[in-house]
Amino acid sequence: MTSLDARDVLGIPADGSSRPAKKVKISAPRQSLKGLAREVQSLGGNNPIAIVPATSTFKKRRLGSRKPAARWKLEPFKNSAREGDSSLVLRHWKRVGELGVPPPEEQPENGDGEPQELEDSAFAKFSVQVQVPQYSEDQYNSNLQNSDWTKEETDYLLHLSCDFDLRWSIIWDRYDYKPHALDENGDGMALVLTRKERDIDDLKARYYEVAAKMMAAQTPVTYMPPQQQHLHNVMANYSAEKERARRKFAADTLSRSKEEAKEEESLLLELKRIDSRAEQLNEQRKDLYDRLDYPATGEGDLAALKTSSGLQQLLATLSSVDRTKKNRKSIQENGTSPNVQTPVPESAGGYGGHGRRDSTVSGHGHRDSIGGDSAAATPTTSRAPAKKGSVSAQAAVTAAAATAAQQERRRLTDMEEIVYGVSHHDRLTGGATFRYEKINKLFSHKSGQQQQRITNVLAELGIPPRLQMPTGAVVSRFEGLIGHVNTLLDSRKLSDKLDAELKTEMAKKQHRLDMEERARKAAEEEEKKRKKEVGEEGNESAAAGEGEGEGSKDDDQKAQTGEKNGGNESASKATSEHQAGDAAPAGSDPPVKQEVVSRPGSSGQKRSVSVLSTVDDEKAVKRQKK
Amino acid sequence: MAAHNLTSTVQPSDVYGGDEVQAFVLDPGYYFTRAGFAGEDAPKAVQPSFYARINGADQPKDIYGEQYLIPRENLEVRNYMTKDSIVEDWDTAPKFWESLIRNQLLPPRQVAPKQNGLNDIPREDQEGDVEMGDSNGADKTGDTAEDEELKLFEESPLLMTEAPWNTTKNREKSIEMAMEGWGCPAFWISRTPTLVSFAAGKPTALIIDVGAANASVVAVHDGHVLKRSIQKSPVGGLWLSQQVQALWEGNDPKVEPVPFFMVENKAPVDAGAPAQYTARKLGFDISETFRAYEDERLRTEFKESVVEVWRGPTRFMMPGTEEIARNQTPGRVFEFPDGSNHMWRETRYRVAEGMWDDTAQLPNTPDEWKISAEQTLSSLIRNCLSGVDVDLRPNLLGNVVVTGASTLINGFNDRLNIELTQMFPGLKIRIHSAGLSSERRFGAWVGGSILSSLGTFHQMWISRKEYEENGVNIVEKRCK
Ligand SMILES: Nc1ncnc2c1ncn2[C@@H]1O[C@H](COP(=O)(O)OP(=O)(O)OP(=O)(O)O)[C@@H](O)[C@H]1O
Ligand SMILES: [Mg+2]
Repeated sequence: MTSLDARDVLGIPADGSSRPAKKVKISAPRQSLKGLAREVQSLGGNNPIAIVPATSTFKKRRLGSRKPAARWKLEPFKNSAREGDSSLVLRHWKRVGELGVPPPEEQPENGDGEPQELEDSAFAKFSVQVQVPQYSEDQYNSNLQNSDWTKEETDYLLHLSCDFDLRWSIIWDRYDYKPHALDENGDGMALVLTRKERDIDDLKARYYEVAAKMMAAQTPVTYMPPQQQHLHNVMANYSAEKERARRKFAADTLSRSKEEAKEEESLLLELKRIDSRAEQLNEQRKDLYDRLDYPATGEGDLAALKTSSGLQQLLATLSSVDRTKKNRKSIQENGTSPNVQTPVPESAGGYGGHGRRDSTVSGHGHRDSIGGDSAAATPTTSRAPAKKGSVSAQAAVTAAAATAAQQERRRLTDMEEIVYGVSHHDRLTGGATFRYEKINKLFSHKSGQQQQRITNVLAELGIPPRLQMPTGAVVSRFEGLIGHVNTLLDSRKLSDKLDAELKTEMAKKQHRLDMEERARKAAEEEEKKRKKEVGEEGNESAAAGEGEGEGSKDDDQKAQTGEKNGGNESASKATSEHQAGDAAPAGSDPPVKQEVVSRPGSSGQKRSVSVLSTVDDEKAVKRQKK
Repeated sequence: MAAHNLTSTVQPSDVYGGDEVQAFVLDPGYYFTRAGFAGEDAPKAVQPSFYARINGADQPKDIYGEQYLIPRENLEVRNYMTKDSIVEDWDTAPKFWESLIRNQLLPPRQVAPKQNGLNDIPREDQEGDVEMGDSNGADKTGDTAEDEELKLFEESPLLMTEAPWNTTKNREKSIEMAMEGWGCPAFWISRTPTLVSFAAGKPTALIIDVGAANASVVAVHDGHVLKRSIQKSPVGGLWLSQQVQALWEGNDPKVEPVPFFMVENKAPVDAGAPAQYTARKLGFDISETFRAYEDERLRTEFKESVVEVWRGPTRFMMPGTEEIARNQTPGRVFEFPDGSNHMWRETRYRVAEGMWDDTAQLPNTPDEWKISAEQTLSSLIRNCLSGVDVDLRPNLLGNVVVTGASTLINGFNDRLNIELTQMFPGLKIRIHSAGLSSERRFGAWVGGSILSSLGTFHQMWISRKEYEENGVNIVEKRCK
């Protein structure tokens, strides 16, 4: 009977319009929601938003992949690690079909077959025993006699050591030696007397003594492998007294009161601080020494200080160093890094008059060794102005900060630095550069003639002018080499010049002698034939002029670079040229020890002298380096 | 047995280290005896170490089982352990254990319906001893089942626990019983602190065990009890119960609790009001021992629900502290069996304070229960550590393990921590106490269960053959 039939019976129209339309169930079994979910749900009022709360349904069990239940079997096993009785058979559950448990069908069910080989416990292999020294009666008598220990007691000790795997705390705890011999006599008193109260260190000392001696008895100490030797050493040098003192100290530490503990802690902290401060102080002191050390490296430096401008420059350098330091300090204190322009010592321009010289003067030769020092940044700042004319203190500050940070890091040894390829730089220029460009630079600012000469020398040495493998190390060596070549060329040029001068002089002398000879002859003749006059000075002066020519050419070049670098000595140029003329004859003397008073590039007045002494100065530096 | 329950069909790898051999683990204590199968995480059978002795007309008869400790004529309650927590009564103990294992560990025996008692007409009076027929009487039936059980004894190794101060003689008795009485294939006996340290997973630990008859502090290093460190005193559950008793007696008005079995019915009354109850009429005298047993049960309940350890930071006896306790801590109401109830405020702290501070013992404590300053837990710990190598002490204090049911009193760990920090201010102290109360109550048993199901342990068992070759003193040689 359908609902239609029922309606028919009751006389209700089939379309059912008289019936109120079935209300859509709004409030379907609403889950009691909590928190945010309820709020969201209630936003919709009577028409709830169609949000279906996630219902977690459990995964249906996959019946298909179900394996038949694993079968387990109570299986007997033995344990071969058992000392007393390895025949003990225990039983454990094992999965059927696994190693050692044959599937049931293969196993004779009646069990009357010959007894199967029992499985050994998988844990038997974990049984280990400590090795304690063994000795025979004779060995004991010859090696191990000790007035304090009987053989019986030593045996007992070693037995315990073995039993408790050398755990000394336990051995000492259980140590309870009762001499037997006296027991038999029933001499109770003697028994009490002979029993010794031994502490843990006595036991250890005796054991190590025995162990060390037995070791040495087996292999003489000198023939032991190093590891054993070390062990022997440690055992032979065991000092019970020291251990006892240490133990007592430890006990005292444990029994401190709360206040003492706290005080000690704070003291330790203080100590740590002092230590680290001392380290820092040492660091700074070392840096200071490094700086103070510098003037002693060459007499030429003193020379620089002998002039007023040199002194001025030193003052400027020092003050700028001071200022950067102060800046750094204040920055460190404030935790900010203001962009402070460091006043640039103007006179520093003269300082950098000669590029190569510059590096020898201020390079200190420590660049790498003190690269990690915080103070190493200071020479950097003072040098930097010479090149760029000005520098922001910020760079220096960041460098200082970086180096300070580096200090915190582990200091690498030289060897490690090489291994890891770590190098220290005062300043890195932006962007990437090719190393060969650096080499090219060495050539490019030389005149064509000089370049040719360098190439010749290199050819002589069998080194290609273009490096095939310009690694960092190779390039720096090459740079050094080029430097030496330059020196060599300079020296050669000088020697050539001197040779030439010498020749000229010789020629002059010869000429003069000739002249004199001739004059004498002529005088004789004159005397004989009445006098005749001959002029010689003109020739002489001509030769001198020629000698000076080359020097002044060089001088010009240098002066120009000096000017470029912001030199303020163009004013003095005229005078210097003038002086050069005057000095020229002096130049005809071999320039011995001229460099003592000359500081090239540092003084305009001495310019001409310096020209000649440049090479010698270089030589002096070289000599010193050697 | 637990191997049955492994959900995975994969056999545990060697790393897991377990290798179960269905050993029995038996942990007798003064108050409770615990027994079960190795490898399980709690003992299947836990039963008070008390048994009933019926002093009948002819010869006395012993009945084992908690359910038989009921009010009955001529029933005397006895304990097979001494107050030192070592087994004393070697005639009774094996029977006690046997019945415990038989009745609670093994599956129920199939008994012919005629005899299983289910079809008997229930009897009203208590006097008949039909339901008591256990150890001596009803053994005539089920011979084959009996044989099977005997076989089980013969196939299962037995691991027993003992107090660290157990005597050599006692240990030898244990192995004798296991080997000759039960025919066990293998036997081992281990000291409770070692096992507790196993259960806590710490090979080196300072074990503080506050049980019923004794509180002990013992250092364990690498699984070995350090004998010189063993310290014990009676400040355990029984002592605490005596303090409770003293509290009741010293209370104003004096509280004289009526044990459960004497109350027929009761009506609720207000706090402090006199009880309204009708006493049960027993037609016979109740023995003193039974009454004491019942009183102890009541006091245990009181300890569980009311007594708390004062957490400090100052000791309870410091002037002013008592006021703080009175005014700032909530009181607890305890209803006695007769329906009377009282609110307990600061005095509920006082009860346990004597554990730490001997001057705090209640003044009306009976003399035999008074403890000296050397017997407080604090002194025990200090003395224990002074008997240990200095180098071990920091390690021990970093691994303090608390066990024994009496440590379940609220606040025990907090107080212990404070006491330790005050004693050793410079050291790091870490207290390990199982969160599960079952683990704390059965610590030694759980450790035994772990130990005897370790694969590497099976080389240690004293086998039957070794026993036969060496005699009883092998236990002293092997179980160090
Ligand atoms: N929740 C609880 N709070 C306080 N005390 C309790 C609690 N549960 C049990 N006790 C007490 O603990 C004691 C039993 O402790 P436990 O089972 O550790 O002792 P035991 O091992 O049988 O005795 P022992 O170690 O001295 O031989 C009893 O005195 C009991 O009153
Ligand atoms: Mg106990």
